Amino acid sequence: MPETIIIHLTINGTGRSFRTPPGRRLLDLIRDDAGQTGTKEGCGAGECGACTVLLDGLPIPSCLVLAASCEGHEITTVEGLVHDGSPHAVQEAMVETGGVQCGFCTPGVIMTSVALLENSIDDREEQGRRLAGNLCRCTGYEKIFHALEVAGTTDD
Amino acid sequence: MDLSVKDIYRPLTFDEAVAAFSDEPSMLPIAGGTDISVQMRAGKFAGAHLLDLSGVLPRSISADGGFIEIGAGATMDEIADSGPLRSVCPALCQAARKVGAWPIQCRATLGGNLANASPAADTAPPLLVADALVVAAGQGGLRNIEAEDFFAGPGENTLKPGELIHSIRLPVTDPPSFSRFTKLGWQREQIISVVSLSISLHLNDQGLVTKAAAALGAVAATPKRAPSVEAVLVGHSLDPAAISRAVEAVQNDITPIDDIRAPAWYRRVAAATLVERMLEEASGA
Repeated sequence: MPETIIIHLTINGTGRSFRTPPGRRLLDLIRDDAGQTGTKEGCGAGECGACTVLLDGLPIPSCLVLAASCEGHEITTVEGLVHDGSPHAVQEAMVETGGVQCGFCTPGVIMTSVALLENSIDDREEQGRRLAGNLCRCTGYEKIFHALEVAGTTDD
Repeated sequence: MDLSVKDIYRPLTFDEAVAAFSDEPSMLPIAGGTDISVQMRAGKFAGAHLLDLSGVLPRSISADGGFIEIGAGATMDEIADSGPLRSVCPALCQAARKVGAWPIQCRATLGGNLANASPAADTAPPLLVADALVVAAGQGGLRNIEAEDFFAGPGENTLKPGELIHSIRLPVTDPPSFSRFTKLGWQREQIISVVSLSISLHLNDQGLVTKAAAALGAVAATPKRAPSVEAVLVGHSLDPAAISRAVEAVQNDITPIDDIRAPAWYRRVAAATLVERMLEEASGA
C-alpha cells in the first residue's frame, strides 16, 4: 500500500480535506473523492480540455495537475457555477444558443469560457485561440462563440 | 488513475526545497507538472519521490538593474501578458502564448519548460537570442548559467545534482528593434513544434543590421543559436540578397533528425522557410 497524504483545498466554495495516495490527480480527487462528476476525463494527457477546471480563477487541465500541489487553493468546477439554483450566464447561453450537442466537452468549454469573460477577453479571434485547447467535435464552435457573445452581454 | 508516486514532499519555502533537494537529489522536482504528468502517465519516473515546487518557486517578473528577472515559477500566461517583457522581449511573450493551450499556459512554468530541456521547448529560442541567464539555486547559493550552456541534450540540462532553477535574468539595457518568435507544427494551436525560430535584430537609421541573434528549436539535440545566420546579416540591409544568404546559412546551423513529428529533410525546408518569412517581415516587405 502506498503512503497516503492529507490535502486541504476549497472546492466550489467549501473547504474540504482528503486523505489520498500522493499520486492522485486533481481530476480524480474532484470526481471520485469529492463526488463532483460534472468534470470529465477525455484524453487524460492535456490535449482535449474536457477536464478543465478553475484553479484560483484560471483554467487548468485537472488531469495533469497533482491534487497534492493544490494544497490551500481554490478549485471551481462546473457544479460550482450554479448560484442559488440559477445557472451561470455562460451555462444559460450555451443552452440558449445550442452550444451543447453531445455534451462531453461542455463542462471544460464552460470553465474556459467563464475565465475568458472574467478576464475581459472579448475579441472573438483571441477567444478562438484561448479555446483551442477545448476540443469540440460536434458544434464546429460557431454556437459556442455565439454563447460567449450572449453571455458577455448578459454578464455585464 | 493515480500516477505512480511513492511520496511527495511539499516544502513551505523555496529555501526548504533547496535544502531538501541538496540532501536528496534523487527526488523529482515538479512545478506546474504539465509535461512531467504526461511522461508519468506513459510510465516514466514510476515510483518517484516528488519534490513539489508549485507553491514555493519565485514567481514575480521584476526589473532589477539592467535585467528583468523572471521567477522560475512564472507561468506562460503571466509571461505572455507581462508589460515589461512585452516591451523588451516580445519574442518570449509570443513563445509563452504558444506553449500548449491556454489552460496549459495557466499552469506551465518557465522553469519547468527549461528544466525539461526538450529540444522543442518554445521558450528556449527567445531566451537564447536574448543572452539570458538561468539562475540556479543550490546548497552553496545562486549561480548563473548562460542560456547557451544550459541545454546538454534531449531532456538533459547542466544543473548539478541538487540544484533547482531559481529565476531567469534577461539583459534589457539594449532592447532590439525587432524581436519575434514563430513555430511550425501539425496544427496552428496546441502543438509541439516541428521547427521553432526566434530572431532579434538591431537596425540603424539606414536600415543596416548592427546586431543579429537567431535561435531555433527542434532542429538539433538542444535548442540552439544560429551563428551562420547571424554572421551573414550583420552589416547588411534586409534586402532579398541578404535574406537568401540567411536562408542558405541556416542549413549550417542545424542538425535535424527524423522523428515521430517530421523527417529531417522536412525540418531543413521548414527552417529555411521560417527564416525567410521572418526576415521578410523584419524588412517590411
